[in-house]
Amino acid sequence: MNEKNSDIFSRIESYYSDYGQRAKELKNEGKKIIGYVCSFIPLEIITAAGCVPFRMRGDIHEPITKGNINLETIACPFYRSCFDLSVKGRYDFLDGSIVAHACDSMARTYAVWKYTLDLPYSHFVNLPHTLSKSSMEFFNEELNTFRKSLGGFAGKEISDDDLAEAIGLYNENRDKVKALYELRKPDPPIISGTELTKILTVGASLPVAEANQLFDEVLEELGKRKESPLKKVRRIMIDGACVDNIELVKLIEDLGGNVVIDTLCNGTRDNLPHTDIGGDPVSALADRYLNKINCPRTYRENKEQDLHKDLESRFGDIGFYAREFKADGAILYVYKYCDPFGFEVPARKAYFDSIKLPLLYLEDEYSAGTIGQLKTRIQAFLEMLG
Amino acid sequence: MAEEKKKHKKRRTATEAAASIGPMVKEFISGTLRAKEEGRKVAFTFIVCLYDEILRAMDILPVWTENFAGICGAKRDAERFLERSESLGLSRSLCTYALCGIGFDQWREELGEMPPDAPWGGQVRPDMMLSSGQILCDPRNKWYQASQLYMPDVPVYNIDLPYPLYEDDVEFTDVRDYYVKHIIEELRGLVAFLEKQTGTKMDYDRLSETVDLGERTWNLIWETYDLRRAVPTPMGTGDAMNTMVPMCFMMGTQEAYDFFLGLNKELKEKVARKEGVVEDEKYRLLWGGGLPSWFALSDFNYFNSKGAVFPAETTYRMIESMYQIYMPDTNDPIERLAWRWFGYWVFWHNKARKRPGSHPDVEWLIQYIEDYKIDGIVMHEAFSCRTWHLGLIWQLNQLAKIYKPIPVLVLGKDGKKEKTNRELPSLVLESDIIDITTYSEVDTRNRIDAFIETLESVAKSKVH
Ligand code: SF4
Ligand code: SF4
Repeated sequence: MNEKNSDIFSRIESYYSDYGQRAKELKNEGKKIIGYVCSFIPLEIITAAGCVPFRMRGDIHEPITKGNINLETIACPFYRSCFDLSVKGRYDFLDGSIVAHACDSMARTYAVWKYTLDLPYSHFVNLPHTLSKSSMEFFNEELNTFRKSLGGFAGKEISDDDLAEAIGLYNENRDKVKALYELRKPDPPIISGTELTKILTVGASLPVAEANQLFDEVLEELGKRKESPLKKVRRIMIDGACVDNIELVKLIEDLGGNVVIDTLCNGTRDNLPHTDIGGDPVSALADRYLNKINCPRTYRENKEQDLHKDLESRFGDIGFYAREFKADGAILYVYKYCDPFGFEVPARKAYFDSIKLPLLYLEDEYSAGTIGQLKTRIQAFLEMLG
Repeated sequence: MAEEKKKHKKRRTATEAAASIGPMVKEFISGTLRAKEEGRKVAFTFIVCLYDEILRAMDILPVWTENFAGICGAKRDAERFLERSESLGLSRSLCTYALCGIGFDQWREELGEMPPDAPWGGQVRPDMMLSSGQILCDPRNKWYQASQLYMPDVPVYNIDLPYPLYEDDVEFTDVRDYYVKHIIEELRGLVAFLEKQTGTKMDYDRLSETVDLGERTWNLIWETYDLRRAVPTPMGTGDAMNTMVPMCFMMGTQEAYDFFLGLNKELKEKVARKEGVVEDEKYRLLWGGGLPSWFALSDFNYFNSKGAVFPAETTYRMIESMYQIYMPDTNDPIERLAWRWFGYWVFWHNKARKRPGSHPDVEWLIQYIEDYKIDGIVMHEAFSCRTWHLGLIWQLNQLAKIYKPIPVLVLGKDGKKEKTNRELPSLVLESDIIDITTYSEVDTRNRIDAFIETLESVAKSKVH
């Protein structure tokens, strides 16, 4: 891979390994940096307020220590890792943080997070669990409350035009991510899963305009790859929640699979859905975040009491991506203590069964030590796929 | 397991009312089995669901699935259902109530009849399942959806019931209108669903009466529990883990109201006779959070044997005085339910705002510490329920930071003794609600002993 040495890839490598370096620079330039952890945070509003959204990451190599002083070990290990790093000062450049009503680990610890980190700004975005008309109206109001609150902190009234502009930038961003995903379609893919994970991770640490620029450069560079650097091997999909590091993907790829598609928070779940334009920007955002992001924390009604239709309406996107990207097998990767995904494992298994996609289910703890232990199982799975 | 079952001693209660709960709970379970045979509609549901009165007014019999799992736990017979859930792919790190319930239901569906030796006749197949997508608990949002995989023909209705979290720059009054409006809409949606399932229209006069009865019951419980302020206290948390049954499972019924009338009378008599939970009351403790280990309720007796009593708890205190909850002028029972719900969840917000560094959950503890003359706090971290247990350690730490009520003398820099204030001693127990494998009686009791010693030494060093 001669691109490895190219400027853009070394920049990505540097942003990935020294995560937050650009945010620190921007902070020194007087920008307000707002941290968040989950896909449900309406980034468009943060950007429209003139602040920089920054996706906080955990660190699977860093044992959770100080974070345990105020946060129970029964919380999601990924979230605990983010909290632990914050307490240890890794994200000292943050001016604020926003938490969404995504799961119990986040919602029930909002006070812990807010009081312990004691940042100048914090806010909880209360997402409804259902998709009723009333839920949408409620969420609209809730987004307006957030808009007003953040505007108060940023010293700026966030106008509809500001929002429309930010929505445009994020939609562009999603187009570019889509273009990157397209490069996974050939067999072998033009881009490895490890590379793409790094690129997307880095993108979430930058202001959207800079991320767009970066993605353009990456796309241009990748456009020069006449031939795939990868081998033609089994094509793997990863399904699950918040995977914000390359370790799992890399392990699979090192063991001889190509990770070609995902339904992860840091992947398609967050990065692909667009926001509608032309109408009321807040309603459009409400629709994008509540309706279009398909996460098990949002309840999708089983209207006809039909098992097959229910599975299709909840997990249809998995099947869609698996077909589009020609996956040969899937790995369902769920953290211990994650309620939204944990409760769905039997249903997800049933769905994978129904689309006849071989599945390996892994429960893990967000730690480098345990990832290593998964090796044998992944290896056996890949061998089974032949 | 058989050994375990034999060893298990029943907990002694301090009040007659608490002792009468066993048959009542048994009746819920057998009542639902009977109701099903008689063709009445039964619905799976959760405690703190807000719509108890709606079910009662429509003659739908609630099956409290958390309760059934709790019973399996108390009978030390949850393990086989937990294991079954695990074999279906559900992680043991999830809510063990849910795992127990799903394991049981899947087994029943597979057999087409109750699993062998099902506790108290078993959990009935429901006609519908009522989830609640509250901010409170993910399992409430996901459990029945997961169960539906094994009974796809049973409809689920999920109701969204939010309440606002405490913020510095947003007061609950800023958001109240749209919260309440949404809750009202969601409740109306539920009524429409229930009407469809039962084929009968809601009788709103009856609902009004039921809500009215519910509100009177809230006040009566509040007044009754307030009697526990007396020294010595006539009733402890151990008993409250029984009396939560009519509060959480029978709201909106005359039976619940009458139960608390009886308890009220009994407590008043005890207070008049100065009859406490223990003869020589030494330490008054606050159960400051956490669901109990249902299989180890006799730990409360162990505390008692050391002269320690629990006049108050925040667990299962799912009511407030209706006189203190803002209620607009409305006769619409649905609206009243919505306002009551909202008012309950923001109850401590205003108080918290007045004390620097405080938070509603911490303020609640402080109020009880003062009202009930508390000497120490005990919490229980049940590993599988994030809902009630996340944030407990932080609450204790924050409380210790901002609230130091005990005057003591410490050695100052110049070697002289100086008067200062210290925080309340606290103990955090760790185990689970029904997963007995997480519990060790020896360890728990050693920790209780050590805590009692701390209370003793703090009492000695207290400056009067
Ligand atoms: S992995 Fe699951 S529990 Fe953890 S933060 Fe994401 S949704 Fe919540
Ligand atoms: S998580 Fe807690 S509150 Fe929710 S169902 Fe389980 S025990 Fe009940």
